Amino acid sequence: MNGGTYYPIDVWGLMAAMLMVAAAAAVSWRMRLGIGRTLLWSACRALLQLCAMGLIIGFVIRADNPWLVALLIVVMLGAGVQITLSRAKGVPRGMAGPVLLALVITMLLMLTLVAELIVRPTPWYSPQLVVPLTGMLLGNSVSALAVGLTRFFESMRERRDEIQMMLALGATTWEAARPSIVSSLRLGLLPTTASLASSGIVTIPGMMAGQVIAGGDPFDAAKYQFVILAAISALTLLADTIIMLLVYRRCFTDKDQYLMAW
Amino acid sequence: MTALLRAEHLSCALPSDGGERALFRDLSLQVESGEIVDLTGPSGSGKSSLLTALAQLNPHASGDLTLQGRPVSAFTPQQWRTQVTYLPQQAILTGQTVAEAIRLPFTLAVRDGGSNGAEIAEDAYNGGRRRFPSLLRGAAHHTTDRLDDAAIRRMLDALGCGDIELDRPPHDLSGGQSARVALARTLLTRPKLLLADEVDAGLDDDNAAKVAAIMTRAAHEGMAIIRIRHRPPDGASSRTLVLSDGRLHGNDAAHDSGSTDILAAAHADGSRSGTARPEEEA
Repeated sequence: MNGGTYYPIDVWGLMAAMLMVAAAAAVSWRMRLGIGRTLLWSACRALLQLCAMGLIIGFVIRADNPWLVALLIVVMLGAGVQITLSRAKGVPRGMAGPVLLALVITMLLMLTLVAELIVRPTPWYSPQLVVPLTGMLLGNSVSALAVGLTRFFESMRERRDEIQMMLALGATTWEAARPSIVSSLRLGLLPTTASLASSGIVTIPGMMAGQVIAGGDPFDAAKYQFVILAAISALTLLADTIIMLLVYRRCFTDKDQYLMAW
Repeated sequence: MTALLRAEHLSCALPSDGGERALFRDLSLQVESGEIVDLTGPSGSGKSSLLTALAQLNPHASGDLTLQGRPVSAFTPQQWRTQVTYLPQQAILTGQTVAEAIRLPFTLAVRDGGSNGAEIAEDAYNGGRRRFPSLLRGAAHHTTDRLDDAAIRRMLDALGCGDIELDRPPHDLSGGQSARVALARTLLTRPKLLLADEVDAGLDDDNAAKVAAIMTRAAHEGMAIIRIRHRPPDGASSRTLVLSDGRLHGNDAAHDSGSTDILAAAHADGSRSGTARPEEEA
């Protein structure tokens, strides 16, 4: 790091953070909000997952082996697909392939453009850069895909009479599905555009905050953060568009008839 | 002379728990240009499914269809539906204004090339510009070239909708008005065969008569029309088909309109099921 001070967190710090969550859960239990248990459980999961990730990334950085980096990314992609599918509600079966394809394409673009063209690390597979980049992209596109898929199929169900009317008048399946695609893209992208617009005013995004806390130059951190945010927004839109192109035909037969149940 | 539409071996089976339930099987049907055919039958007998099958909209139906001697496989589904057009019972109007709702068909790619036989797409100006799916482009572009306000106005006036302004938001319309605007939208695309699913169900006698009159006029100009109806006969149709228990009665032989007792049975059936909404829109 750029010679700034760095303040590490010890075990007591982790326990204090856990205690805060426990206190919040206790309040929720008293007020019968019914989210205390979920909150505690999620916090424990997050603690374990983050520590594991920290250890693993540390190991991969020290090992400095491109194959190990690739393996880690493959595991992250698999988890991304699994989380997308578990979060998307009311979608047909067989979405794993399209989701994986959308994630792989955007991830490759992210690594090519941001890592190799903009940042240009040495070695080119630098795990210190590549793994967090992939993680941030996946985190964003996984939720966008889950929201987008859920909204798309929900909208296709709601619009069944309209779709039938449009097909009856000679619409292609694309024309009939288009309003649902647009609405699902908008909804899937909402958090991304919101975070893009509010960053720097309301929030200091996680990555920039991390760099600053770790003693990095705040202006450098800001540039980094912008590149990441811009790339993530563009690629999230791309991932969502890819998935829509891959799945919208599921609602139709090969004779371009609307199917009630997928 | 070849019939306008010939349908053979028409079958429809709805998926139900534990297998399929056949709605009708092996029906045949023939329609000539310029004739109006009434289709009646008890609720749930599959009248709407029959019409959607003819329009290639019914995923549960199968059968051999020809239009003016050309088999259905010679058309894209979109081309077929511009010629054999189903008008759903439920009127759905999209867009901000009545005019926009009525122009919807003319925003579709199938009417861009002008090769679909309907004389409405004569301008080559937009030809071939819509090869790629347009995500960002709005729906209403250059469609006023295809269908001007005056044509829409004339059609609405003829349907007894003289009081509906073209810039009125569609959701302000009453059920009967919406049904007639939806009818106007489909009539203005000039299909060869119109499949009208209870268009006059929500109308008073006066306006139902106006709808019948405009359909009669369209038929005089060569359009064939199959109407699902539950009202008493209005004299516009040349014959009546009854769909019940999976069979089509009062059938096709010629223009002999079926025997009188079949007609009577049809309307007895029709009045019994009244305005009950059929659930067969599979």
